[in-house]
Amino acid sequence: MEHNNIYKPIRAKLTDVINESSLIKTFCLTPEQDFEFKTGQFIEVSVDGIGEAPFTPSSSPLIKEKLEVTVMKTGYVTEYMHNLKPGVYMGIRGPFGRGYPVEKFHDKEVLILGGGCGFAPIRSLLYNLIAISDKLRKVTLCYGSKTPEDCIYKPYISVLRQTPKFEVLRSVDKATGDWSERVGVVTVLLDDVKVDIKNSVAVVCGPPVMMKFGTKKLLEMGYPEHDIFLSMEKNMSCGLGKCGHCMMGKYFVCKDGPVFTYDEIKDQPNIWD
Amino acid sequence: MQYKSIKKEKWDKALEKLISSHTVYANIEDDFGQDYEKLVASDISRIAYNKPKPATSLKTFFLPVKENVTSERVAGKPWIIIGAPDCDVEGLSIIDEIYLDKDFDDPFYRMRRENTLLISSDCFGIQEHCHCTTYGFKPYSLEKADLAVISMNGEIIFRVISAKGEEFLKTIPEVTPFNDNNALSEIDKKHTATEALLSKANDGLPDYRKTGKIVAEANQEIWKKYSARCVSCGACATICPTCTCFLLIDKPGFEKVKQLDACQYPGFERVAGGEDSLHRLHERFRNRYMCKYVWKPEKFTSLACTGCGRCIEACIGKINKNELFRELA
Repeated sequence: MEHNNIYKPIRAKLTDVINESSLIKTFCLTPEQDFEFKTGQFIEVSVDGIGEAPFTPSSSPLIKEKLEVTVMKTGYVTEYMHNLKPGVYMGIRGPFGRGYPVEKFHDKEVLILGGGCGFAPIRSLLYNLIAISDKLRKVTLCYGSKTPEDCIYKPYISVLRQTPKFEVLRSVDKATGDWSERVGVVTVLLDDVKVDIKNSVAVVCGPPVMMKFGTKKLLEMGYPEHDIFLSMEKNMSCGLGKCGHCMMGKYFVCKDGPVFTYDEIKDQPNIWD
Repeated sequence: MQYKSIKKEKWDKALEKLISSHTVYANIEDDFGQDYEKLVASDISRIAYNKPKPATSLKTFFLPVKENVTSERVAGKPWIIIGAPDCDVEGLSIIDEIYLDKDFDDPFYRMRRENTLLISSDCFGIQEHCHCTTYGFKPYSLEKADLAVISMNGEIIFRVISAKGEEFLKTIPEVTPFNDNNALSEIDKKHTATEALLSKANDGLPDYRKTGKIVAEANQEIWKKYSARCVSCGACATICPTCTCFLLIDKPGFEKVKQLDACQYPGFERVAGGEDSLHRLHERFRNRYMCKYVWKPEKFTSLACTGCGRCIEACIGKINKNELFRELA
């Protein structure tokens, strides 16, 4: 029974902690056994004896020996996480749910709209898309953060900007220092994007208010509802479609999502809360 | 259906043996009402046959209020549960869909389910809030238990439902085939009479084909009106045979304790960032109705209310969901 116990985490050693911004850190974990996930699926990460919280890995789904989660200090468990030092063991369960259907992105332009810590699942997706870039037309990342200091994965953005077929547009709500890119909410970047909507899909991940207005803008641009992929954030607790905390209408976000197309969820209640 | 029987005194003797080889729970009646109790020899004569529901549902056996779900567990003696009304048997089948889900099979739940022989009891009579037939269920089991039991004219009569039930009866030599057509006809009459009582008591209640639409279309004023006396105690969900939401609590050593939870408690859907879809009382109140009558039926094979009426009895604010449905019907 031990082997099949869906509630029992596997141990994973915390090997490194990377400061991404004042509130966001990336935790590098080496599980005690190989751990596979599909990009966009999430895992439950435990701080021993403290609690467990859901995170979508921000690392490549092609790597099985280790993984990374990028975590904003927001609540009880994440505050403990931010105080952890390399060498301790954490627990992981999963992977859970339905990730990004990257096979549906073949021969398409992929427009990605990300905000704040919502870049975490998107970075994993980008790793995946780079690996299959010969099958894609183009990938455009529109990423927004509050200030330039809050912009995460800066080294990775430099790499992306040098990757053929990949384009990165950034905005900040408030410019500081020598910021030379856009200023304004992330949706202003969509005004700058040249995209062939008929041959494109859109991906949105970020804080609820950004998801709401990002989706609205994409619909106005002419994206069909079934081509907008949203990574939903709810209180995913068990990850198994049982505990009920993440119910969004008829869906268990943990099992039926967390990635949904807009047409799948538009009639469900409280999707942006 | 196949029926078998045993003389009541011989069945009582058989139970005396079964309580040493099995853990037997039965619906026991005393001065305070009826509920499941672990059967001891002195209580065999107090088993409530043909009676409507015990105070608690079958859920309590298979989903303990609190348990460590990371510790090793071995099945103990096999269980026999005697006296579950069909509303609770139906409730258990909805829980089966969630906990024996093909993607994530709960090993603790499965172990208990497989280790249990379920003997349902026909209801000859109703309690004040019973309304199973409104939702398409019957006051007697034909499908989802292993056996159904009826006590009549000094005989214990079994309706054989599953192969597991049939095998069990083979272990009791005194059990014989039962083909007394007069008695079977008498049982049918009892069923008809019980269904007539249910029909009369629940006149005006919309049935299961209409409840979903009624709940989905009800306006905010209805939810505010009926939740005005709700104190978020969660008694309705705790007593409900199909409410199974839980909380996972972390303990040192990466252990997890699973504890029953309810969407009626504040903060049930709150995320770390503070967003809470069910922050307001009337929204939490509505959520439970939407879950039972709209969302679960879309996802599973049945609506998640079996008409047992326990939520009405348990509510300290005297909120009666059937009044709500009558108002909206």
